[in-house]
Amino acid sequence: MGADRAALTGALLLLIAGSCRPAAPRHGVEITFSGSALGTEGALIARQVARFSRLHPGIHVRVQPTPDDATQRHQLYVQWLNAHVGDPDVLQLDVIWTAEFAAAGWVLPLDHYHPVTADFFPATVDANRWRDTLYAIPWYADVGMLYWRTDLLGHAPRSLDELMAVTAPTARRGTGTAYGIVWQGARYEGLVTVFLEYLGAFGGRMIADDGSVTVDSPEGIAALTLMREQLRTGRAPPEQLTWHEEETRFAFQNGEALLMRNWPYAYPLLGDSARSRVAGRVGVAVMPAAPGGTPTAALGGSELAINAHSEAPDSAWVLVAYLTAPAQMLERAVVGGYFPTRPALYDDPRLRAALTIPADTARSIVYHSRPRPVTPIYSQLSELLQIRLHRALSGQATPAAALHDAARAMNELMDRTHLRTLMARRSTP
Amino acid sequence: MSTAVKPATGAARTASTAGAAREEQRLAWMLVAPALGAVALVAIFPLAWTVWESLHQHDLRMPWLGRPFVGVRNYAAIAGDARFWSALAHTALFCAVTVTAELVLGLAVALVMHRAARGRGILRAALLVPWAIPTVVAGLLWRFMFDGRASIANALLVESGLARQPVTWLVHAATAWVPVMLADIWKTTPFVALLLLAGLQGIDPALYDAAAVDGAGWWRRLRLITIPLLRPAILVALIFRTLDAFRVFDLVYVLTGGGPGTSTEPVALYTFDTLLQNLEFGYGAALSVVVFAITFGLALLYMRALGERADGAGARGGARS
Repeated sequence: MGADRAALTGALLLLIAGSCRPAAPRHGVEITFSGSALGTEGALIARQVARFSRLHPGIHVRVQPTPDDATQRHQLYVQWLNAHVGDPDVLQLDVIWTAEFAAAGWVLPLDHYHPVTADFFPATVDANRWRDTLYAIPWYADVGMLYWRTDLLGHAPRSLDELMAVTAPTARRGTGTAYGIVWQGARYEGLVTVFLEYLGAFGGRMIADDGSVTVDSPEGIAALTLMREQLRTGRAPPEQLTWHEEETRFAFQNGEALLMRNWPYAYPLLGDSARSRVAGRVGVAVMPAAPGGTPTAALGGSELAINAHSEAPDSAWVLVAYLTAPAQMLERAVVGGYFPTRPALYDDPRLRAALTIPADTARSIVYHSRPRPVTPIYSQLSELLQIRLHRALSGQATPAAALHDAARAMNELMDRTHLRTLMARRSTP
Repeated sequence: MSTAVKPATGAARTASTAGAAREEQRLAWMLVAPALGAVALVAIFPLAWTVWESLHQHDLRMPWLGRPFVGVRNYAAIAGDARFWSALAHTALFCAVTVTAELVLGLAVALVMHRAARGRGILRAALLVPWAIPTVVAGLLWRFMFDGRASIANALLVESGLARQPVTWLVHAATAWVPVMLADIWKTTPFVALLLLAGLQGIDPALYDAAAVDGAGWWRRLRLITIPLLRPAILVALIFRTLDAFRVFDLVYVLTGGGPGTSTEPVALYTFDTLLQNLEFGYGAALSVVVFAITFGLALLYMRALGERADGAGARGGARS
C-alpha cells in the first residue's frame, strides 16, 4: 500500500509539474505575450507574432489569452504579479495602470533600451512615465471626441457657449432629435473622462503641481455645473446616468442626438448604413473649450510593458519594439481602426486611406489629449470622484458640495498612501 | 451509552466497563476528528485568517507600503467611514422591507395553496419558477423592465394612468430601490410560501373544525390557530430570509451597481468593491469581519428565539393533551 501511495504521489507530482511547465522549446528562449485571442484583435496578434517568429527564430512567442475586459485583466495581472510569476513576459496595460504597476515594482524600467520617445505623441509618453522613468511603450491611443451631425449643423461647436446654444431644446426644434448631447453618465471610469474633458475646457486640473487634488476649484465646479445643466434643461437625457459607451452610441446612431461624446471605435460603426440611421452624416471634432481653457480630449489606450520577473527581459523587449514599430502600428490601424501613437504615421497615405476619420482631425485630437493623473492610486482616486460626480448629477448634492467632498476624500487617500509628497515633484494634469 | 448498562455486580466488572467506556469515547473522538478537522479547515481557519488580515494594512496595489500590523486601526476607520454606515443603513432598509413583504405575501400564497384542492402539484411547480431563475438573470430581467424612459414599467404606469410622466427609475436615489426590492420580493416569496405551506400542512385540521363549531370566523382562526402554530415555520423562514437579505449582493450589483452615487449600495457590495476592485485586503478583511459579526449575531438571536418558541410550543402542547 505504501508503494502504491508513493507511486500515486509521484504520478500526481509529475502531473502538476507537467501542467505548470509547458514543453520547453528545444533551442532559444520562450516568452509569453498576454493578449486577446478573440475576433479581429486575436487574429491580428496571431499574425504579427507569427511574422515576428520568422524574423527572430531564436525567440519563441506564446500568446497567453487574457480577458478583453479591462477590470478582469487588471485583477488577473495583480494576482500574477503579486505572486512574482514570470509569465506573461509582455503585459498589455491600460494607460491608467502604468504608474500603479511601476510603483509596485511589477514592470521593468525601459530607458536603458533607449526607445526613441520623440517619435510618439508627448501625452502618450507622459502617461507611461513614473518618477521620470519610462515603464511602458504606447501601443495605440484612444481619445475622447465630439461627434456631430453634419446634416443638422454647419460646423462643430467651437466653444462651450456654442455647444450649449445648439443643444437647447428650442434651438433643436424641427431637427427631429430628442436630445442635444449624449455622453457616458454611469458611475464608472467613463464618467471621469467626460468630466476631465469639461474640466480641461474650463482650464482646471484634477491634481495640482504640489500634489494636491484640485477638482473642487472654481473651474471644476463650473465644469460639473455645466454637465448638470445639460441634464436639467433637456439638453441631455437624465437616463444617461446609467449609460456607458454603447448606450450613447445607440442613441446617436438612431438619430436621437445632435452631439455625442465618445471614443473613436464608434466612427466606423456609425458609418455602416445597414445599422446606422446617420451614416454619412457624422463628423468628429475635439471637444470645445470655454474662454481661458483648452480643448481637451481624455487619453485612453493600451501600452506594452515587461514583467519585472521575466526570465528573458531582453527578448521581451525585442517583441515590444517589434509590436510598436511603425509597420505593425500601421497594420493595427488599417485592420482594427486603432489610432497609432506615432504622429508621423498620420501622413502615410495607407493610413489616410484606411482610417475612417480624417487623419489630420485624428492627429489633432490626439495632440489635444491629456493623460489622466499619472499615479499608482489612480483607480481609487477615480472611484472616489465617480461617486461624487454621480451624486451631483443625480441631484443628491450640489456640484460644489460634491466636489469639496471628493477633494477631501481624495486628498485623504493621497496622504494615507504617502503619495502627495511623491507626486509633488512632477507635474500632472 | 455505557451508563445505561445495568449496575455491574463486581468491582472488576465496573473497572472493565469504565475502561470500555473510555475506549469507546476515544473511538468516538477518532471518528469525529475528520469532521472536526474539516470544520476547522473550511470554517475556522479562513475566519481566523481574515481576522488576522484585518489587523494589518495590506494593499495589493501598494507593495511599497508593506504589510504592517496596525492593530484595530482598520476597525477605527470603519467606525468613521460614512460610506460604510450608509451601506449598513441601506442593508437594514432592504432587509426590513423585503423580508416583511415576503412573509406577508408568502403567507397569503401558502394559505391559498393549502386550500387548493386540485392541481396543487402544478401550482407549487409554477410558483417555484422565479426562485429557480439565477439571481443575476433575474436582476437583468428587472433591469430591462425599469431601464430608460421607454421601459415596460413606464409603459404600464403611463398606460394605466398611474403616472403622467415616464419615470427614470434608476437615476434617482429613492426610485432606484423600487426595482431592486420588487425583484427580491418576486424572487423569494415562493421560497417563503413553500416553507410556510409545509408548516400549514402540519397543523391538525381537527383544530379548525373545533374552532368553527365554537363559532370562530376566518380571521379569528387565522389569528388564534394558524399563526401561533405556524410560528416555528415563520421563524425558520425569517432566519433564512433575513440572513440572505443582509448579504444581498448580486441583485444590486446587476441592477443598480449601488448607484446612483452610492445610494443603493449594501455592505456586501461595498466589501466586494474594497476587496476585489480596490484590492485593499486589510480594510476589506475588517469589513468582512464586521459583516460576519452582524450576521452571526442575528443568527444567534434567531436561534435563541426559535429554541424558546419550540420549547414553549412543546410545553403548551403537552399541557393540552
